[in-house]
Amino acid sequence: MRIILSEDNDILRKSLSFFLESKGFIVDQFSDGKEALNAIETNDYDLILTDINMPGISGMEITQYVRESLGSDIPIIILTSSGVEQTELDSFDLGANEFIAKPISPAVLLVRINKLLKTRT
Amino acid sequence: MNNKEEPIPHNELGRLAALKRYDILDSLPEHAFDDATKLVSYICGVPIAHISFIDETRQWFKSEIGIGVSEVPREISFCRYTIMESKMVEIPDTHLNERFKDDPNVTGGFKVRFYAGIPLTTPDGYNIGTLCAIDHVSKELNENQRNALSIIAKHVINQLELGTKNFQLDAQKKIAERAIQAKDSFLANMSHEIRTPLNAVIGFTDLLAQTKLDAVQKDYIDSVQIAGENLLLIINDILDLSKIESGNLIIETQPFNLKKTLKHVYDLLKVKVHHGIEFNLFLDADMPEMVIGDQGRLNQILVNLTGNALKFTEEGEVTVSVKLLNETEDHYSLRFSVKDSGIGIPQNQLETIFERFKQAEESTTRRFGGTGLGLNIVKQLVELHGAEIKVKSKPNRGSEFFFIFNYKKVKDSQTTPESFTDEKLGKLKILVCEDNILNQKLVKSVIQNFGFELDIAENGEEGIAFLSKNKYDLVLMDLQMPVKDGYQTTEYIRNEMNLAIPIIAMTAHSLVGEQERCYDVGMDAYVPKPFKQAALLEAIQTVMQKDVNAVKKRRMDFSYLDEMAGGDPNFKKEMIALFIEKIPAEVTQLEDAFNNNDTDKTKKLAHNMKSSLDMFMLTDLSACLAIIEQEAVLGTFTSEAADKINILICGINEVVKILNEL
Repeated sequence: MRIILSEDNDILRKSLSFFLESKGFIVDQFSDGKEALNAIETNDYDLILTDINMPGISGMEITQYVRESLGSDIPIIILTSSGVEQTELDSFDLGANEFIAKPISPAVLLVRINKLLKTRT
Repeated sequence: MNNKEEPIPHNELGRLAALKRYDILDSLPEHAFDDATKLVSYICGVPIAHISFIDETRQWFKSEIGIGVSEVPREISFCRYTIMESKMVEIPDTHLNERFKDDPNVTGGFKVRFYAGIPLTTPDGYNIGTLCAIDHVSKELNENQRNALSIIAKHVINQLELGTKNFQLDAQKKIAERAIQAKDSFLANMSHEIRTPLNAVIGFTDLLAQTKLDAVQKDYIDSVQIAGENLLLIINDILDLSKIESGNLIIETQPFNLKKTLKHVYDLLKVKVHHGIEFNLFLDADMPEMVIGDQGRLNQILVNLTGNALKFTEEGEVTVSVKLLNETEDHYSLRFSVKDSGIGIPQNQLETIFERFKQAEESTTRRFGGTGLGLNIVKQLVELHGAEIKVKSKPNRGSEFFFIFNYKKVKDSQTTPESFTDEKLGKLKILVCEDNILNQKLVKSVIQNFGFELDIAENGEEGIAFLSKNKYDLVLMDLQMPVKDGYQTTEYIRNEMNLAIPIIAMTAHSLVGEQERCYDVGMDAYVPKPFKQAALLEAIQTVMQKDVNAVKKRRMDFSYLDEMAGGDPNFKKEMIALFIEKIPAEVTQLEDAFNNNDTDKTKKLAHNMKSSLDMFMLTDLSACLAIIEQEAVLGTFTSEAADKINILICGINEVVKILNEL
């Protein structure tokens, strides 16, 4: 399973990648939204994991682009430290499948990823 | 009374002097005298009674019933005649008395009809006043009443005597107290004077012993060391005695490890055991590990008793044993015993051995040495514990000294904190405030031995100047210095400069209450001189440990990171390294953005950093960032954000320091 992870905080991104890789996933990590989107366009991923606030292109923009422009139904999990309810609602509106508030519990993240991948296959 | 010659006793001058000695005239009323006056009135059944004293011009009433004035002129007083007599003067009816029948106080005034007066005679024979019974009607006293009056008169004089004796006693007591004070301060000063050079002797010997020496030199140095330490012991003994005497020795109540203390005593003395002696330590299996009491004093008692036992035993055995006798809900009762098979003590000397400067035999001092103070101190220390030291002994069979101490039990929360483990102190920068050049030199060598840097200030004033110019980790403070002493300097550092820098007092003064005074003014530790290197290092470690602990009050929680790392230590290390590399720089960026009022940049930085801090479970610092971010979003910073920035900077410094030490 191949996951694209887009998160600008180095420590969190590296940790998440390490964690997911230790669970058997292949992870491509990006700290910049634009680069992440380029990668999504050129590669075939099973799941997108993206932070909302990022330099370049935000997680919301990525979601909207994937759903509207690429017309893909690839599972998207949005990560955010925002506690604002509207952000969560907006995420789902744009077509995100899951919304996880930071600090992220690795175990919960894993369960959600597996659930999304299972329903898909 | 018509211009008759005034009656004046033949010894009038002596009499007046005697009266003056009692210092009774114009004094306040006293119950003892008023009671005596009442007694006179009851016994004689009269409405007027008094105790009075007569000086050159007046009759002054110390106590009176039915008179109502405090004094009358001497020339109208009946009593001026009474003090001429040696016995009681009784006038049953003044109207029938030639001398008094026309007296103004008979015809008018007090209307005296009956008068009975008895002179108050001092032990040296002066009639200084009278005790009187007076009535407005004529009467005659019976023999019992007369006897009673004489007895009361004697009591009055006794009372006067008692007063002067008490006064003298007070004066003597004050003199004695002053003398004790002088002795105490003499002892303290002497000990200071002796300890200062001794400090240098022991300290330099210590240093010398660490240099390269040949066997002979080493032997000499060892002897100097032993002699120096013995001298110190003697001085300490004398000081202890003076402390006990002045009631200033307090038995501490601190949790301590009883087993360790006993093993320590054993190990300490094991080296002194002669060949051919079996030295044993028997501990009751049920003996508690920890108790609350005075470890130092128990140590002192046992070292003293055991030291004696070893000294007086040439062959056989010396056994220190401890037995748990009884255990209640909150106390242990323990019997401590030191038993030997030595020379023993003759029956008739079992008492005197505890007296000061007394040893069992006069020849003992010559044969065995010692100050003759040890057992006296032991006895008093045991008594201060509310116990009694007992001894059983037979000449040439041996002796047993034993006592029973009650120690409070240690509650779980009272166990002592982990003792110091060899923690690296790093390179400390130390400021030494010390005026004595020898001591400066000694401290310098010792501290340089530890690998620390130091500056020396000649006095407190100079120390303060150093402190305001440079940054130090620690101050070693002599208490007695010219210009500003150690106390004043510490007060200044704490109250004026507001510095929390650890301060260790160093002093050769072992004055009672000095240690408390040091802590009161804000010092952190106390090293008595002459100090041993180890003691100084321990004090430094203790105060620095406190400091380190204060910083380390933040406990790092790596559980989140561990979960991510899945137990991979290398990855965890990598993340920690990343944190150390990135976060301080980000904090600086954040601070800059904040100072430039760049809300947009501040918002982004704060937001991003939050994720990092969350990884390390730094929830408090993460919360600071949330507030900073919020204010940045709103577009204006308040003082709260500024506060949070400061907390964040300090917090991150702390965390980085901790992470660096991992």
